[in-house]
Amino acid sequence: MPFPPSVARNLASLMLPPEELERLQELHFYDAGHGFDPFGMHPAFVALGEGISSFLYNKYFRVKSYGAEVIPASGSAILAANHSGNIPIDGMMIWNDVVRHTNPPRVVRAVADNFVPTLPFVGTLFTRSGAVGGSRGNVRALLERGELLLIFPEGTPGILKPFAKRYQLQTFRVGHAELAIRYGCPVIPIGVVGAEEQLPQLTTSRRLGKWTGVGEVPIPAVPVPLPVRYHIHYGEPIPLHEQYSPDQADDPQVVKAAASQVRDAVGALLERGLALRKGVFT
Amino acid sequence: MARASRTSARTRGRASSRRRAESVLVTGADTPIGERLIRELLDDSRVSHILAVTAGDPADFPLQEGDRLEVLKVDISRNRRLHDLLFGKARDLGTTSVIHTAMHHSAHARGSRVHALNVEATRALLGFAERHPTIRRIVVRSASEVYQVNNELPDLISEEHPLNMGGRAPQWVRDRVEADVTACTRMGLSSLDIVVLRMTEALAPGTGSQLFDWLESPVCLRPAGFDPMVNVLTIDDSVTALQKALHSDAQGVFNIPGADSLPLSAAIRAWGRVGVPLPGFLLAPAYRWRRRLTGTDFRYGMNRFRFHYSGVLDGTRAREVLGFVPSHPVEWPARSG
Repeated sequence: MPFPPSVARNLASLMLPPEELERLQELHFYDAGHGFDPFGMHPAFVALGEGISSFLYNKYFRVKSYGAEVIPASGSAILAANHSGNIPIDGMMIWNDVVRHTNPPRVVRAVADNFVPTLPFVGTLFTRSGAVGGSRGNVRALLERGELLLIFPEGTPGILKPFAKRYQLQTFRVGHAELAIRYGCPVIPIGVVGAEEQLPQLTTSRRLGKWTGVGEVPIPAVPVPLPVRYHIHYGEPIPLHEQYSPDQADDPQVVKAAASQVRDAVGALLERGLALRKGVFT
Repeated sequence: MARASRTSARTRGRASSRRRAESVLVTGADTPIGERLIRELLDDSRVSHILAVTAGDPADFPLQEGDRLEVLKVDISRNRRLHDLLFGKARDLGTTSVIHTAMHHSAHARGSRVHALNVEATRALLGFAERHPTIRRIVVRSASEVYQVNNELPDLISEEHPLNMGGRAPQWVRDRVEADVTACTRMGLSSLDIVVLRMTEALAPGTGSQLFDWLESPVCLRPAGFDPMVNVLTIDDSVTALQKALHSDAQGVFNIPGADSLPLSAAIRAWGRVGVPLPGFLLAPAYRWRRRLTGTDFRYGMNRFRFHYSGVLDGTRAREVLGFVPSHPVEWPARSG
């Protein structure tokens, strides 16, 4: 970042109440020597990230959270959520929700697409707030250190799906299930209701995506995200590591079945969330 | 079969000889790391004798020769001289281990003479040592620059991380990769115990550290919008790692990280410099001009990827197998805020 952690800390203090800043002092964090963890996360930037995203969380999307107490206070876990909305605000809202609903506070490490580190400023801000590039080595290292990982198993097809396909889960990749079995951690399914309507899509452009280096770019029907209300539903942890032994992580059938189990759980949370909500904006 | 039994017999012999005092040959003894290593080995009761090989005049070597230290000037890039050193003086002294640290440091040095020291000397050293009557162990100092760094690869670099085999890589990098791989290809097949230490750069003068050279400038130019994590080592920790590798029975490849992992911008602040972010495309010409005007060694093209993307060595294997934990942080002239 162009400014040091002390500036981030001061900026955060303007955005967050003192009690929240004090709570963040207890942040679960692995200091590699200069206040940063080996991936570049820094508590002052986590506070700044919470301060910035809290405006969206509290005022714009008025997030309602259900069942966050299932997130373990310590140890590794994979949070697997549906992905939607054309821009990854859903990731930001889950990130904020986890920070504020865990005590002592924990940061969920969002696994970002490989193009994210290539984005000037954005990539660095993501890194300082705990996001990591989506390489296998990174996620392995984080799980071995007992961190929380946020994975969107639908990947890009999920976030870029057209408005007509909202709340239709796309094919789940199996990496999250394999990791959970191999490294012995539970998967916590998450259903995000609201994000699917935030930015209706007209079309996508591969040409623009190639030009910007991000693969495919959505062309939205509205210039800014709509102020929909977010509902984040956490499901009971799925103990894949208890159902399967680590050596079964190499069995394609086992991993596929495990991923399917997670997909069903996320689908059930979405159904419940849709049934509970009274309207897109309320 | 005969070869296998000979090897296993030699392995058994090694196990017992490990407990005897070591007689060590050190190449690159007149580098800052080599010199400090020899000081430590002189204080090490497990080392009976040190044969220090320098590129310069032994009279300029800062340590006094004595019963336990002998200093020789040998151009190890010449096979015959290396051969005669090993099968002459080293055999007479019963040298049991070699610590090979000699490498050209300048990022701009190139050509066959440079390659001869960086790669061919390593190759010849391994070949001669295999048929040497007393040498049992070789520790090769490699560098973290052998690894690729880019946005698709892990930020935390394990020993299985892809190597930088790109044809566009400068000779400085290609030579280090080739020397490293040359040592690795003999592991398990050789009668020697081979240890390759892939060390992150030591932030000190005379070590070939590009980051040190970069930080020596009052104004440090860096790519705008990028602030990757870097890891740096001290000479003290480098020497500790070499000593641990010397006295261990293990062989293999080990990452040797330093105690300091921090973003580039924090390194600039901690070094008391001014960081100026610039668009990436301006940096290569800016540093080319800086080199022409000031004669510094920093080469932006060689560092372009790591100035954009994080690459921090994972030292888990060295910790678990060699017992190496970096414990000497860099003494930063200033602290970051």
